[in-house]
Amino acid sequence: MVKIRRAYEVLFLGLFLFFLVITDLRYLKGWPVSIFLEATPLVAVSTALTTHTIYRNLVWGLVIIAITMMLGRVWCNWMCPFGILHHFFGWIGNRRNTKQLIEINRYKKIYAIKYYILAAMLAMAALWMIPTAWDSPGKIISAYNGQMPKVVDGSRWIVDANGKREPWKVAPSTPIPQGFTLLERSGPDRVFGAIGQGIGAAAEEHKAKKSTLQIGLLDPIALTVRSMTTSVLPTVHMASEGIYTEPREYWQAWVVGLIFIGFLVANWFIPRFFCRAICPLGALLGVFSRFALWRIDRDPVRCTDCDLCLKSCEGASDPHKDLRKSECFVCLNCIEECPHDALTFRFLPRKASEITYPEIGRRQLMLAGIFGLMFFPMTRLSGAVKKNFNRAVIRPPGSVAEDEFLRRCIKCDQCIRVCPTNVLQPALFEAGLEGLWTPIMISKMGWCELNCTLCSQVCPTGAIREISIAEKLGVGPFESKGPVKTGTAFYNQGRCLPWAMDTSCVVCEEVCPVSPKAIFTRNVEVTDRWGATLQLKRPFIDPVKCIGCGICEHECPVKDDPAVYVTAIGESRDKNRSLLLGLVEENAQDLVSV
Amino acid sequence: MSEKLTRTQQKNLERLGGVNPADEMFSRRQFATQVGGYAAVAGAAVGAGLLLRDQWGMEGVKPPPPVRLPSFAIKDLPSSTPSVVVVRSTPKPSTDNREHDMEVREKQAFDMVKAALTEMGGVEKFIKKGDVVVIKPNVAFDKNPDLAATTQPDTLAAVVKLCKDAGARKVIVADNPINNPESCFFKTKVGDAALKAGAELMMPQDSYFEQLYVGGETITGTWRMFYRPFREATKVIGISPVKDHNLCKATVTMKNWYGLLGNPRNQFHQNIHGIISDFALMIKPTLVIADGRKLLMRNGPTGGSLNDVKQSDTIVVGTEGTAVDSWCVTRLLDKQRHEIIYLDKIIQRGLGNDWRPQWTKEVNLA
Repeated sequence: MVKIRRAYEVLFLGLFLFFLVITDLRYLKGWPVSIFLEATPLVAVSTALTTHTIYRNLVWGLVIIAITMMLGRVWCNWMCPFGILHHFFGWIGNRRNTKQLIEINRYKKIYAIKYYILAAMLAMAALWMIPTAWDSPGKIISAYNGQMPKVVDGSRWIVDANGKREPWKVAPSTPIPQGFTLLERSGPDRVFGAIGQGIGAAAEEHKAKKSTLQIGLLDPIALTVRSMTTSVLPTVHMASEGIYTEPREYWQAWVVGLIFIGFLVANWFIPRFFCRAICPLGALLGVFSRFALWRIDRDPVRCTDCDLCLKSCEGASDPHKDLRKSECFVCLNCIEECPHDALTFRFLPRKASEITYPEIGRRQLMLAGIFGLMFFPMTRLSGAVKKNFNRAVIRPPGSVAEDEFLRRCIKCDQCIRVCPTNVLQPALFEAGLEGLWTPIMISKMGWCELNCTLCSQVCPTGAIREISIAEKLGVGPFESKGPVKTGTAFYNQGRCLPWAMDTSCVVCEEVCPVSPKAIFTRNVEVTDRWGATLQLKRPFIDPVKCIGCGICEHECPVKDDPAVYVTAIGESRDKNRSLLLGLVEENAQDLVSV
Repeated sequence: MSEKLTRTQQKNLERLGGVNPADEMFSRRQFATQVGGYAAVAGAAVGAGLLLRDQWGMEGVKPPPPVRLPSFAIKDLPSSTPSVVVVRSTPKPSTDNREHDMEVREKQAFDMVKAALTEMGGVEKFIKKGDVVVIKPNVAFDKNPDLAATTQPDTLAAVVKLCKDAGARKVIVADNPINNPESCFFKTKVGDAALKAGAELMMPQDSYFEQLYVGGETITGTWRMFYRPFREATKVIGISPVKDHNLCKATVTMKNWYGLLGNPRNQFHQNIHGIISDFALMIKPTLVIADGRKLLMRNGPTGGSLNDVKQSDTIVVGTEGTAVDSWCVTRLLDKQRHEIIYLDKIIQRGLGNDWRPQWTKEVNLA
């Protein structure tokens, strides 16, 4: 059995690394490179809390939950690449003798921390429930009395010729589709209808701006992809020159790398420290594993209390006495280690010989929940999302409006991995504490390639919704909407060569990729300091055409503080950040939460 | 247990009373509860997940359906009803007794508005018993009313009282000012006057805004609008000052509706005439009142000096905002009619009619 598990471990880690390496324009093809990120149930559960939907492939997480409910936390030791890495690092670093191993693998109280971390993070994703609870009774009553807007199923969307769903545009010629109100129903139908409709309407009204998604900080897959992308792979490339064509640099990625290394090295002091004590996904699966139909069971007659089963227990689940079901990783090592064959992986063993639920303190759990509920408003109300948003937070094209973005982004940095120009960078505190390690474009590092939407294709949660090249460029069916804008370029005329230094340049105009160019020039004739006459082309921005790709900033010869630079204003993902009136209606995304 | 047990194991067996509990098979009951429980919960989880599943990808961010404003205009007015009524009053000289002066001016305002409405067929023609009336004053700035940058509080109080007397169930006074709303309602004295006269104040909050469908020239689709007061409204009255404006040249009743827009409304300065002409499409009020008792002749729309203010003791009431504005800019603000481009735009778009002598009544009060 253990050999089979090892084969799975090699397989899944190999698959993970394979997908990681081919998340690259050259190899991407149609591979499901984000599958591990989509399969972590923590992402499915927490995004369901923040967005009230489960984005596309995140339903894979439900499969993992169903498996966990049958077999226990097999994910942790068979499939999770971070878990497998911890297993491997623990094995490398192991210098303990048998006796020490038995002692180090006993259950410790600190292993309950992961449940508190999970509680705090889920609470941050669930603040909207409080106003919803306040508001529901009134909404239920008004739904019962037929005062709700009529229910119109599916009519808010139209399907165009390509089968793509588009928001239903209200035009003077199209009448508002007629729906029904609950007044036309009677009895319990009306009561239950009102309850559903009322709570639904209240939840819908309050979901925006009242939650944040922070599980990505510690979700093992997001953490691993982020660490690999921003620190491990660039490091490997420096040694091997085999990963990229151009070496990558990531802004302050050492922080990410240090945390990653720290967690791996922690295995030498406490084996599987991250998995046992920190991992919020492990905690979630631990909760679901109470239903598991199979588990490790100890034969109390054959067992001679030698405790040898603890020698290589990965989860610290105490197989030598009543099994802590929520902690067991189903590594099956204990079965192998037992000299008396007292341990078996059994179908429906006695309830009496297990500890079904995780050992968590109610007070601590409550404290963690309250911390989550309190801390999110504190970060959100620090101003970085709305009133004092940072001009450097230039999100990749296709990103949804900032509040919605923070309710979707898991900081996995898969977009950063796939970006071919290195422009996408993990934010530090530019987007506020909530936006730690979320993707921003730093144009000095790269530029947004015009005919590229890779980041939107690999995003597992729809923080960057999938857009086509046609939509990005605003051509074809998107002609009337115009291109997706990520920001607007401005000139710093005091540093620009033709503006300030009587020198010809206009590289920016040359590289401007849109047609017609967003950068245009005006010819001027100046008298230079020696009295000679000079012809100069001085560049200007046409804010209507500029899409904020940043290639002008990247190519500007004034490298350290470019004379042309992009800021976030004018981005089309949010009406509130638009700059030009003419573009607001046509260009502003219909898909912004209000 | 067939194989031979070690001594320790035999002791274990004895301790357990000769029966190894691990040898027992699970009971039928345990099977039913555990497997049944598993099936139920796993089924519920997967089912709920599939229910929430967003195949298309952006269900979670679809915009709420836009709201629309119905017409609040009175439909069955007799054709003889004037669309503009101008009421002039003799100036009331101020005395040393400030309270007395205020009472006099309050009475003057009430008489003027009442006279205008009488000329149009009486208040009852416009306000019915049980109506919910939304009054939109212009309190854009936190200035003293004497500076004439905002609606005069006594004019507003007069309108509130007339509505209440006509049987209005509720009168809501609402505006989304440029300056801080609390300061504006407080310092323009409009807030106090409204409350004293029996109206409700509604100050803008984030959740009071909804996407309103306009479908006009400048707002081609929807825009965030201070919609909450209009949810239950049956009648709408706009009361605006008559003043100079730096960009669009005159703020009277049409420009007053700007105060219902949500942010980023400052972008509309990129096409000010277009947006004001869109208001004629956006909202069809029951009545508009141009409060020309004090005029801000220069340095608008903020003003700030009494030297810019002209006493005029005129109130213009009408059903046709375009006509009221047209009358006010030429007769009160001493501007050329062609300067006011947005009025021409409204008329060109067929959304309003200019002022005509035959539809205008003038009344002089003592």
